[in-house]
Amino acid sequence: MAGLELSTLPQQLVNGILLGSIYALIALGYTMVYGVLKLINFAHGEVFMIGAYAALFASWGLGYTPNNAMSGSNPINLLIMLLASMTLCGLLGVLIERFAYRPMRNQPRIASLITAIGVSLLLQYGGQLFLPSSPAPNIDAKVNPYQDNITIPLRPVDGTLVTAAKQLEAKQLETKAAFDAYLTRTKESPFQLSVAGQPLKKAAQDAERDLRTAEGKAEASGLSIRLPKGQMIMLVTTVVLMALLNFLVMHTKPGRAMRAASHDFDAASLMGINVNSTITFTFLIGSALAGAGAMMNATFLSGTKIDTFFGMLPGVKAFVAAVLGGIGNIPGAVLGGILMGLAETLVVWAGYDSYRDAIAFIVLIIVLLFKPGGLLGSNKVEKV
Amino acid sequence: MKFWLGRTGSILLAFALCAGIQLLADQQSDFVQRLIVLAGLYVTLAVSLNLINGITGQFSMGHAAFYQIGAYTAGFIAMKFYAGAKLPPELWMILSLLTGAAVASLAGLVVGLPSLRLKGDYLAIVTLGFGEIIRIIVQNQPAIGGAYGLSVAPRFEMIWLVWLLAILCIAVCRNLLKTAHGLQFLAVREDEVASSAMGVNVTRTKVTAFLLGSAFAGAAGALLAHFEGFVSPKMFTMDVSFIIVTMVVLGGTGSITGATLAAIGLFFLPEKMRDLPNFPLGNLVATGIGIIIMVVGFRHIAASFHGKIVERVMRYLAILTLAVVVALVLGPIVSKVPTLGVPVEGAKLRMVVFAVTLIVLMLLRPQGIFAHHEFSWDWLRKVLRLDGAKKVPA
Repeated sequence: MAGLELSTLPQQLVNGILLGSIYALIALGYTMVYGVLKLINFAHGEVFMIGAYAALFASWGLGYTPNNAMSGSNPINLLIMLLASMTLCGLLGVLIERFAYRPMRNQPRIASLITAIGVSLLLQYGGQLFLPSSPAPNIDAKVNPYQDNITIPLRPVDGTLVTAAKQLEAKQLETKAAFDAYLTRTKESPFQLSVAGQPLKKAAQDAERDLRTAEGKAEASGLSIRLPKGQMIMLVTTVVLMALLNFLVMHTKPGRAMRAASHDFDAASLMGINVNSTITFTFLIGSALAGAGAMMNATFLSGTKIDTFFGMLPGVKAFVAAVLGGIGNIPGAVLGGILMGLAETLVVWAGYDSYRDAIAFIVLIIVLLFKPGGLLGSNKVEKV
Repeated sequence: MKFWLGRTGSILLAFALCAGIQLLADQQSDFVQRLIVLAGLYVTLAVSLNLINGITGQFSMGHAAFYQIGAYTAGFIAMKFYAGAKLPPELWMILSLLTGAAVASLAGLVVGLPSLRLKGDYLAIVTLGFGEIIRIIVQNQPAIGGAYGLSVAPRFEMIWLVWLLAILCIAVCRNLLKTAHGLQFLAVREDEVASSAMGVNVTRTKVTAFLLGSAFAGAAGALLAHFEGFVSPKMFTMDVSFIIVTMVVLGGTGSITGATLAAIGLFFLPEKMRDLPNFPLGNLVATGIGIIIMVVGFRHIAASFHGKIVERVMRYLAILTLAVVVALVLGPIVSKVPTLGVPVEGAKLRMVVFAVTLIVLMLLRPQGIFAHHEFSWDWLRKVLRLDGAKKVPA
């Protein structure tokens, strides 16, 4: 086990929260659908995958193709990609609900679950026929105008170490100049030196190594947190969307209809609620949120490779996050997502990076065994 | 006396059937032999999961984990002890099966315990999680090959043993359901509270189901390890668990017959698709339209036609013909459109067809092909009489 580097902990916590915000967005969709339909929408991860492709195609449409050297970008492009992704995902979610889940509504839930698995497989493997997946494409990083970081210093760099490094720099330059001069004089290749050249090369290398070590030490003496601007936007968007969603569900008429439908379809329809359109609306919102998450994941975590299995692991982890927070509970989904992101980065930080996909389930099992309703959910007592 | 005669006869028949399969398989190519073995293993897996999911009603989605544990246990003990044991292969295989089953059922005990607290979807996701955790843990153990996998030293191609295990599994489940113990499993599925009020030990029943189900999966894993001569964590991903669950649900939750037939069908369907030729995209679109016509028509008939059974069947046939004709006629026409004329790789359609079959079957028959029915001669007689349309004169 690698030693725990306490000095990198704050940065890892920040990374965990940022990663968690993607899980939170996907988890919101899960929690809404499960809250209303009591169905694990296994195809939700695949909606997320389609959202990433929609963002990719939108970025290509804006001219950021792999071969095209565009320079610079502006927030409008990001907004177009976000809208494209959210619209397409929303539509896809509605279509899936209409044609795969609605006919199954009066059947045992396990039948809908199998249909959901079928839809998910169909999108994964059917997507391979039409979508570019090998080699896996990625969204050009240049489309993101917010590439720089905000650096928050926590502890200043130790001045004496910096001066020490500065002093070594002079020596490094000197030895390197001597070695270069030797090379130009004798016209030898640096890899096939005669005996006379060897000590010069060694001196240059030693000086350089010392310099780098000293620089590293100086840098490590200070402590700062790097906040990539793009990912900060991601986190803020997540929180804003969560607040909007919470307002929608708790304080508007469609939201009240959703809550009523989640209690009892029959009673809700007796009260004049159109259950079908409420469920369609739920799928529209949930899937659009997954689309937003997908676009931001693929754009702001630059270099993310997109293939048709892109949504599988985030989908499962986000479901776990939704259960962790208490399924059907909107702030719970965000809390669960962020905890999931934190757990994952902390496991990697502690040196167990091969367990990063297992930790989600370990956390889930522990939570479910001790608090089956989730962290913010309520425990229901079964009545006879 | 009659009972024992019947019993001995069935056992002899089972052995004869397995010997027959072995003889038949011996003349086939390696590839076909492999298919026969895997089909047998999937039957065991589906029927054993059916015991947990269908009969006891505990929705488990981590069956691949027990399969994996059995496979790795067999591989591990073969690596350590086979050379020193000097046992005949048959005896070794049986020992290996038993060990695999024992270790897997221990794991089944661990996984079964949460089922005492959790229900439905929650249990499903927890068992799915256990499956993944076990796979990832195995992947991180260098002692058993880690992510590269473990090679299992002696390869045995005992096709008869694979099918004997499948038959044993079917027989155990079927006979269990005929006893008072079996009724307890069904009672727990129907209503836990009511059955515990009737004196059923719910805890013991659930744990027994997990123990038995995972033991069979472990035995299947041991056979897989010795047949393939190699096991790796990649062979036991979530997809495998999904496929086994699908087999159970598609066959009809709780129906052993259904699980068996669905396992064979769903296993061979994607394999058959491997050598599909390339064809224009238009044909795919036309087939899709044909399938939609079929599904919509069938659902319409099922929902709103209440006439005689013969007329109903005629209508089904008419819709089916219409769908096929539309698909066949429309295909070449649509392919004339330039964008729809691009070729599609037939081999890539394998899992797509699997997924579409799944969705279509669920839309048309959500209770599964066999629903809760079991194969029996009485049932066959009833079905052939078409729901009593032709009553036998009294």
